Amino acid sequence: MNTPFRLDDHRRRPHPPLSAPPDRYFEQLPTRLMQRVQPEASGQTTWHWLAALSGPLRTAVASVVVLGGFAASFLLSPAPTPAASANEALAQVSREEMVQYLLASEQRVTLTDLAELPAATPEFPTEGYLHASPEEVQDALDAQPTEDTFL
Amino acid sequence: MEDQEILVKFRDPATRNVAFNQLVRKYQQKVYWHVRKMVVDHDDADDLTQDVFVKVWNHLENFRQDASLYTWIYRIATNECLSWLQSKRRKFFLPLNDVGAELAAKLEADDSLAGDEVELKLQKAILRLPDKQRLVFNLRYYDDMPYEQMAEVTGTSVGALKASYHHAVKKIEQYINH
Repeated sequence: MNTPFRLDDHRRRPHPPLSAPPDRYFEQLPTRLMQRVQPEASGQTTWHWLAALSGPLRTAVASVVVLGGFAASFLLSPAPTPAASANEALAQVSREEMVQYLLASEQRVTLTDLAELPAATPEFPTEGYLHASPEEVQDALDAQPTEDTFL
Repeated sequence: MEDQEILVKFRDPATRNVAFNQLVRKYQQKVYWHVRKMVVDHDDADDLTQDVFVKVWNHLENFRQDASLYTWIYRIATNECLSWLQSKRRKFFLPLNDVGAELAAKLEADDSLAGDEVELKLQKAILRLPDKQRLVFNLRYYDDMPYEQMAEVTGTSVGALKASYHHAVKKIEQYINH
């Protein structure tokens, strides 16, 4: 029969026989710890004066900082530039480019769009319309599907 | 470097880092093994050991020297361990025995105990103890800490600690002989 186990008779170890920590663990731990506490330390130094203030004073400082931020962003932001009018923008595009665009794009250009309306109302201001030559108009018409042209 | 010298140097911002480095080198193994006995797993012990020393860094300036530095650090480590075990139970809704079983499973996975049946059974018996009793057992049995110092670390009377250790030993012997 086995003798009952008594703790006093058992060989005492300095700590349980668990696996040892990884190699160089205790050599590296102080460095790892310094890296962990250093940012906190520098943060504490920077804001130490803030922590020393009373609660209402801290609130006042925070309000001044927020309002100052708004004022600074308002004063430093550039004044809005007025958008160039559509006519000015259009005037910068050459006539040839416009015609090329109309011919190449999917726009449905009709005879009325390009020639008849300005001709029918000569007193109507024509600056906003294309001054297309008959050849250009004909080219545009030729490019149109047949059913669109004759309907 | 003596504890008193560490404390004086820590209070001087110019020598604070050197003092803390010395403190870590002096106590890291004791803290690590104290924690490791409670949580078994190395990674958990590593996290907790670091947390202990970060707390030491944050509060050492206000340390009043009512107790020795060694006792004070042990108390921080003890509280960290107990809080960790408690939060583990709360997090996973585990009853008392399940954490013990989980720690025992980690212990069995550890190759260091392979082949030593009595030692494995002893470790399992220790892990079945309630956390605070296990802590008292570890401090007395492995660290050979005097009861007076244990009383400072745990905030419990010497009489209660002696009773707790006595009951722990009985439970362990009973478990192994059963």
